[in-house]
Amino acid sequence: MSIVITDLTVRYGDKVVLDDISLDIADGKWTCLVGPNGAGKTTFLKVLLGMAPYSGSIQDQGVEVFKSHHRNVAFVPQHPQIPQGMTVAEYVMLGRSKRDGWGNESLTSRSYVHKVLTETHLFGMQNNLVAQLSGGEMQRALIARALAQEPELILLDEPTSALDLHHQISVLNNIELLKDGGVTVISTMHDLTLAAMFAERIVVLQGGKILLSGDSQQVIHSPELKRAYDNRIDVYTLDSGRPVVVASKDRDN
Amino acid sequence: MFEFFLKRKLVRVAPALILVSTFLSTAPLAQASTPPTRIISLSPSATEILFGIGAGSQVIAVDDNSDYPTNAPFSKLSSFTPNVEAIAAYHPDLVVLQSSATGAANVQAQLLKLKINVFLEVTPNNITDAYAEFVALGKATGHPSRALALVASMKSQIAEIIAKYRKKSPVSIYHELDNTLYSADSSTFIGQIYSDFNFANIADAASGADSGGYPQLTPEAVIKANPKVIFLDDAPYGESSSTVASRPGWSGISAVKYKHVITLPLDIPDRWGPRMVDFYRFIGQATAKIN
Amino acid sequence: MSTEHGAIARIWNWRITAFCALILFLVALAAVSFGPISISFIKVFKTLFDLPGGSTGLDRTVIMQLRLPRVVLGILVGSALATSGAVYQTVFHNPLADPYLLGAASGAGLGATIAITSTHHNLAGALPIFAFAGGVLAVLTSFFISGKFFADPNSLLLSGIAVGSFATAIQTYLQQRHSAALRPVYSWILGDLTNANWSVVAWSSIYIAIALIVLFMVAKQLDGLMLSDEEAYSLGINPKKLRIIAVAAATLATATAVSASGLIGFVGIVVPHLVRGLTHRVTNRSLITIAMAGAAFLVLADLGARTLLSPAELPIGVITAFVGAPFFLVVLRNRRKVSQ
Repeated sequence: MSIVITDLTVRYGDKVVLDDISLDIADGKWTCLVGPNGAGKTTFLKVLLGMAPYSGSIQDQGVEVFKSHHRNVAFVPQHPQIPQGMTVAEYVMLGRSKRDGWGNESLTSRSYVHKVLTETHLFGMQNNLVAQLSGGEMQRALIARALAQEPELILLDEPTSALDLHHQISVLNNIELLKDGGVTVISTMHDLTLAAMFAERIVVLQGGKILLSGDSQQVIHSPELKRAYDNRIDVYTLDSGRPVVVASKDRDN
Repeated sequence: MFEFFLKRKLVRVAPALILVSTFLSTAPLAQASTPPTRIISLSPSATEILFGIGAGSQVIAVDDNSDYPTNAPFSKLSSFTPNVEAIAAYHPDLVVLQSSATGAANVQAQLLKLKINVFLEVTPNNITDAYAEFVALGKATGHPSRALALVASMKSQIAEIIAKYRKKSPVSIYHELDNTLYSADSSTFIGQIYSDFNFANIADAASGADSGGYPQLTPEAVIKANPKVIFLDDAPYGESSSTVASRPGWSGISAVKYKHVITLPLDIPDRWGPRMVDFYRFIGQATAKIN
Repeated sequence: MSTEHGAIARIWNWRITAFCALILFLVALAAVSFGPISISFIKVFKTLFDLPGGSTGLDRTVIMQLRLPRVVLGILVGSALATSGAVYQTVFHNPLADPYLLGAASGAGLGATIAITSTHHNLAGALPIFAFAGGVLAVLTSFFISGKFFADPNSLLLSGIAVGSFATAIQTYLQQRHSAALRPVYSWILGDLTNANWSVVAWSSIYIAIALIVLFMVAKQLDGLMLSDEEAYSLGINPKKLRIIAVAAATLATATAVSASGLIGFVGIVVPHLVRGLTHRVTNRSLITIAMAGAAFLVLADLGARTLLSPAELPIGVITAFVGAPFFLVVLRNRRKVSQ
């Protein structure tokens, strides 16, 4: 799903949260939104979920996205509401509601969930309660549910913030698999290094405006990026060519 | 909070509950063509009245709160929460039902569906209304003249008692329902009995606090009013002249100082049957020497 | 549940619902058959289904005019309360939610008290209307106070508590000023089905049926409310609208139940957990089953209410508490075992 966003503005009362955003989201690519807190990243995601009223236009191949009924957008939240008493299988099955309708337990539905559970290595845990999963397992369950949706677009809000290093990498690898399957990915991330590692495009938001957007390698090495973070970051390149972004102490500058 | 309050108050309040539902049929019952022979009484007062007017032999069952006369056919039927089926199992032809019973309107309707006649007893506000019930029950059970005679006899006995014991000038009294100082003012049935003796009821000053006539007084107010007589309706709950005397500040009250704290007999003040005469006599004699 | 090759097992099986329906049918039949007047089971069955050889006269009236409307009302009220409780638990993410949240109970109680303490003619006959209006107004006030009509669950809960406390305070004041109303209000609060007759059944069945049909229709989507709002949107539902619809329908059912039978407690909290605990499923597709389980539960409790202390009536709220509480503990203990 490719999205062309033109002059998108979102207001909450008097406050302008997103200010005249124009952006192209490339189909089948991974775009990562970065920026300090309060930049408007989460609001942007909410707009794509149809939750926030906005002015401007959001189009997919010329059709206003919110007027068409075929949008299938999966959402992996940073803080999911964890239902008590629900098994992993039931939880992942919720993802099928978009394709098959709510409560549909056809063979198609149940086979697809079987497949997804296997791919995310959750099959053995399908009868465990979601409430008892570890952080890493919960993240896998969320990805599994998103996969079950067979979405055109997947939105991930800080998918790695609560995870240890090992799980961060495996989650991001999973998302990459998704993307290779043709799904457009948009994620918000604090971790610029990981963003540069996985995303093809990076969009830098600050104060509701787009500061910079483009190929991730270019954005990472750009001076605008440093400025967005008040010059408190340093960008290094490893021998392999991978960029690493670290925070720097004010006193050393 | 509820259980305590109700246990104390409701059993006492029963005789003078003000009419709650006026939509219930006001005429208790048209005169039956042939008198009923299988009467069930679900009211302790009605039980006493029925036996007093000579209908006792027609009564086949009385409720679990009735206890007088002692030869009445006691049963487990409830007066407060009547069970229609249980009543019907006796195959009665007349049921005396209190309008203050739970779901009385519905119980009446259901009994009528079962072709059982119902005498709806409305709690009387005063002695005139009580006499009216005697007469109505007399008509309904085939003893109209005996009922009238009983009423006449009671009227004259009570008149005699009042003539003999009524105070020349008002004597202040306090009627106590429970130890949180709920009282009964002159609008209540018992309050009117006190008025007949020219007692000045200290609860009248607080009568605006409860439309039912049972305001709660403060200890200070009672001490200030300094009643000459205290009537205790809460003896079954442990109150007596010594417990009253031990309340802080109460020992100076006239009634306590001069030992005019009177414990009322059980049940009789709560009922409006033929034993009302006994109650009048009791009050008169107990307060004879007080001025 | 068998697993086909390459597919997970079904989450919810409609055989459970069918089984529950059978239980309800048997319970209702039993309830109509028992009472202080003993009528043989065969005769009861024949009378109910208009077969030759049924009861006549007094027995027939007892079955058709006394027991049957009471059982039918029990089914209506039990299903209304259990379903509302389940819906509220889902909407508020709170396993202890009951249908009297948002001030519905206190509002209805205040309405009933006003009806009883008012000296206006015929007002006591209008008690159900006052109770109903009181319950609905209290919930509307909770919505209004919480700020936005599409309010989030937590602020709604808090304003419900505020509204409920306020209504109770007014009610207490009125009762203190009108002591004659104490017994009728108290017994109304304890709840009973003794006022059951066919006209009560008629009006209450209309509202409860409407409310339940709405809830059954959205039941599948209610599962989305168990997630955060963002997740719900992504799965294709509008959680704010759905919450309003669900709460409105549940409130209608509750207010009707309360005006027909007073405040019967425990059914709304316990029955949903009972069904979820026994089936090990939390999906809202269980709503129909929960409704029937609630109906069976209340009919059984009412059977106890009119036979255990016969010939007196035991307040039904006492029985639901006595039965509900231990059941609840057992279910909780089992869930804890499963999760360990």
